[in-house]
Amino acid sequence: MSKTDLNEIVISREFNAPRELVFKVFTEAEHMAHWWGPKGFAMEVARLDLRPGGLFLYCMRSPNGQAMWGRFVYHEIVAPERVVFVNSFSDEQGGITPNPWLPNYPLEVLNTLTLTEQDGKTTFTLKGGPINATEEQINVFNSIRPNMEQGFKGTFDQLDEYLAKIIS
Amino acid sequence: MRRDVFQAIADPTRREILNMIAHESLNVNSVAGHFDVSRAAIYKHMKILTECGLLVVTQQGRERYCEAKLDRLSEVSDWIEQYRKFWEDRLDALDSYLMELQAKNKKKGKVHK
Repeated sequence: MSKTDLNEIVISREFNAPRELVFKVFTEAEHMAHWWGPKGFAMEVARLDLRPGGLFLYCMRSPNGQAMWGRFVYHEIVAPERVVFVNSFSDEQGGITPNPWLPNYPLEVLNTLTLTEQDGKTTFTLKGGPINATEEQINVFNSIRPNMEQGFKGTFDQLDEYLAKIIS
Repeated sequence: MRRDVFQAIADPTRREILNMIAHESLNVNSVAGHFDVSRAAIYKHMKILTECGLLVVTQQGRERYCEAKLDRLSEVSDWIEQYRKFWEDRLDALDSYLMELQAKNKKKGKVHK
């Protein structure tokens, strides 16, 4: 599997809980079922195999009964501080499917979760970037920020501001 | 062949073309004349940009002008937006769940260590 070559998106959050607990809640099926599904969706864990190459396969069922499947493939697990996994939409069998909202882009996202603890609080830092993207997609992600040239005032300025805010 | 906005702006020449015409429509020939490569090569880039919905060529008298349509560039930021929103929502849920869990454990006198 290719490593991501892309600018990554970084999301960080502090939780008022010890690191062991955050790790547990993020890696055990029983806990994932409680919080991973979107609000109002019934979350079912079909499989959670926490080992490198292992699959976490889940189904999110909307209030009107529509099922949406997704999966993680774990790459690296270092309890309780690090989980590297690839997230994508999937079918019931765990086969990768396109993003239902943005069908052109991108199928798989490599996520690196790092947990650090200080004074009983845990900082959850997630870095994510598309992988196995086409060369074009990679070029776009790598070039879009340095190429915010004058000509794109308006659209690109907004995008630049936005990217600067979220990509460190 | 797949044509989308990601492909359109992946190429530096195509980005340069969009830069040139972002503010004002320009004559097709003057855009082509700006580059060292052949006109045919530039026309090919313009064709791709057109197919991706980022460029429109209009005939004005004897001249052909190209005009940028940059609305679709938002598709790039849409993906990032969606990824971010997805995780922010999940982390909100995780936060509540952790609170709930710890409150429950406290009651039971159980300590998570």
